[in-house]
Amino acid sequence: MAKIGAPELTGRIEIPKLAEGASADQKSYIAKPDNMAALSFPRERLPNWKEKAIEKFGELLKKYRSLQLSMDICVKCGACTDKCHYFIGTKDPKNMPVARQELMRKVYRKYFTTEGKLFGGLARAADLDDNLLDEWFTYFYQCSECRRCSYYCPYGIDTAEITMAAREIMDSIGYGQKYTLEIIGKAETIGNNLGMLGPALRNTLDFVEEEIKDNTGVDIKLPTDVEGADVLLVTPSADFFATPHVESLIGYAKVFHQAGISWTFSSYASEAGNFGMFIGNYDHMKTINKRIWDAARELKVKRVIAGECGHAWRAMYSFSNTLNGPFDYLDKKYPSPVHICEFTLDLVKKGAIKLDKSANDGFTVTFHDSCNVARASRMGDKIGGQFIIPRELIKAACNKYVEMSRGTTHAETFCCGGGGGLLTDELIDLRVKGAMPRMQALKAVIDSNGVNFFALICAICKAQFTKIFPYYGLEMEMVGGVHQLVSRAIILGAKEGV
Amino acid sequence: MPTIDFKGKQIEVDEDGYLVNLDDWNEELANYLAEIEEVQMTDAHWEVVNFLRNYYKQYQIAPMIKILVKEIGKVMGPEKGNTKYLYELYPGGPAKQACKIAGLPKPTGCV
Amino acid sequence: MLTVIAYAVAVIFVWGILSRFIIWLSSPNPLKIPTTPAPKTFSGVVARIAGEVVLFQSLFKADKKLWLGGWIFHVSFLLIVLRHSRYFLYPVPEWVMVFQTIGIYAGFTLILALAFLFIRRLTIDRVNYVSSFMDYAVLLLLMLIGITGLTMKFIGRPNLIDIKAYILGLFSLSPEAMPDSTVFILHLLLFLLLLLYFPFSKLLHAGGVFISTTRTQTDTPVEKRHITPWAK
Repeated sequence: MAKIGAPELTGRIEIPKLAEGASADQKSYIAKPDNMAALSFPRERLPNWKEKAIEKFGELLKKYRSLQLSMDICVKCGACTDKCHYFIGTKDPKNMPVARQELMRKVYRKYFTTEGKLFGGLARAADLDDNLLDEWFTYFYQCSECRRCSYYCPYGIDTAEITMAAREIMDSIGYGQKYTLEIIGKAETIGNNLGMLGPALRNTLDFVEEEIKDNTGVDIKLPTDVEGADVLLVTPSADFFATPHVESLIGYAKVFHQAGISWTFSSYASEAGNFGMFIGNYDHMKTINKRIWDAARELKVKRVIAGECGHAWRAMYSFSNTLNGPFDYLDKKYPSPVHICEFTLDLVKKGAIKLDKSANDGFTVTFHDSCNVARASRMGDKIGGQFIIPRELIKAACNKYVEMSRGTTHAETFCCGGGGGLLTDELIDLRVKGAMPRMQALKAVIDSNGVNFFALICAICKAQFTKIFPYYGLEMEMVGGVHQLVSRAIILGAKEGV
Repeated sequence: MPTIDFKGKQIEVDEDGYLVNLDDWNEELANYLAEIEEVQMTDAHWEVVNFLRNYYKQYQIAPMIKILVKEIGKVMGPEKGNTKYLYELYPGGPAKQACKIAGLPKPTGCV
Repeated sequence: MLTVIAYAVAVIFVWGILSRFIIWLSSPNPLKIPTTPAPKTFSGVVARIAGEVVLFQSLFKADKKLWLGGWIFHVSFLLIVLRHSRYFLYPVPEWVMVFQTIGIYAGFTLILALAFLFIRRLTIDRVNYVSSFMDYAVLLLLMLIGITGLTMKFIGRPNLIDIKAYILGLFSLSPEAMPDSTVFILHLLLFLLLLLYFPFSKLLHAGGVFISTTRTQTDTPVEKRHITPWAK
């Protein structure tokens, strides 16, 4: 572990000088042949991989306008060059969004443009050779698809789309990443990313029920597969395993209990996350997403609610209707998945649940906007609701709330450093460095305001920060979920006037 | 597939050093794996390992961290029933490092 | 000769742009991927794109200096084109006269802005790293077009009547004799080179920005089911 050097925390984000190849050694593990085959990818790299890759590239250009446009219209103005957390953290120039895109664009020029055919190297057109493919595998798995660069791009070019396409091409030639593909395999066969089978899930939830009973004296159930429940709750499976994730799980359960709304988990669709999105594969994304809607139909619920998970919310909010809609079997009043934050805040506003803010008086809280929620989805009816709703909920649950500096929150938020399929141990050095911009902004409010609770609404963010805080000399106990605050503040028991 | 050399026997592990075949595990090998991880095995460490293995046998997955915390608290005393103590035992994380020494596969997902 | 080149370039330019738009528009958007927060209505999208095209608002958020340089260049270019319309239109409409003086100033600001963009590209290590020969070449080309244009205004004034007759002839497909001015011929050739390069290069951003998926989609995945033929 000695080699992993966390940058020094100064509270300032500085744009580094370039250090060529600085993160070239941060490489994901290659997926196992059986894993590849299970997902209908070639078991290993095809002998004629180059032709196949170019063929797939051509196919994707015709299937995704975003990709075709991105290849054509970048002027390399440089606006994005200092926006990526992995660049700021690693200093590796290939982590500048435009340079990452160029890895793909130079192949595009060579095979698909007149400019590249005429001017070759002068226009930076290049052959897709072993070296370049190697760079693809390295640097397209050093992008967390957080879209921060896309927010600043004058033409809206989205590196996430390019990264997804590159991963899709690599998968199609038998060159996949172990972490994401292993998880997709589990999600499609077992129903969640952990690979937790039904009995284990039930045992876990029984345990959580006991915990709640021990701590509050109240019988609160975490039901599974209850037909006819009003709500199907779909949450990242990390909530069934990790800390602090489980504290939010307890929070959700208390909210449903206290509001008197019947709800259930599904042991078939026990995962909100959708790693199919990370690899840009439409079919896998659809397959994973479909489990949720099949479960909703089968359990005859009225509505579907999503737990605290960033990319899952993008997949559920932005893509579900396209992938597996329409949801005419749900209650007409709730035609779409609702985010748990919106759901809970609504109950608070209606007075259906009451929060005692003083329960969190030991905390000074700040909130980290998760990238996929901030820049790829919405909560509630209002444009920008994804920023307003979690903040209102936090402020309803605690007295001391502090905002991190401008340019690092809302649509300009920095990724935690572990999103997009990079939350894997072999990339730990990248993850530590990629978290640096967020850590600097956090450090500033720790120093100025004594922030000691870092509130999150994403399982990846929670796992990532819990893991990397110690590298920066911070206590991992600072990391928590928004519903962890709700869980502490909610007043359980008989309701007044009901 | 990488292997580790243990008592003249080649034992298959994955890139991170987790056993590929769970049946390869025995207590001696656990000690050896712990050595590689620079973990000094004590009774408390064994409690964790044994609990993980038993749970895994029943449920084909490692338990939720909180379940493990509670169990350790029950066995070792309430003052030790917390995540911090588990990290003291296994600095590489109670889920990941302890699973490795217990011969279980690495937990996957957003954990 | 120049006449033939001009027509050939015009054909290639129009064909190039059209075919590029056909390629773009025939490639679908299978998923809803607006960069949020995004508008929920079509008029909201129009306003968003107008903000990008007229004010470069995303660029403004990204980099103020680059925004200033880039915006001055583009506005100067527009003013110069408007000023030039007096050479293509007969009789010259009233509004064109508004741009005559300001169009000259724009000639200078254009060159200054281009010089800024060039130096910036060269000296900021991050931008230099991603720049190819062609990225510099196109800035130089634009600068040369500006310089030859200003040369005609301030150093060797060619016969404007001849030039206008020639250009109107080109437009009406009944070409007149080529004007006897080396600077003018150079100016025109360089401009034709720019037109020729345009449809095959990053200069396409001028068209692409209008249909950029992340900026033109509404944030309405729930309200309206978004489906495309291949992704059902």
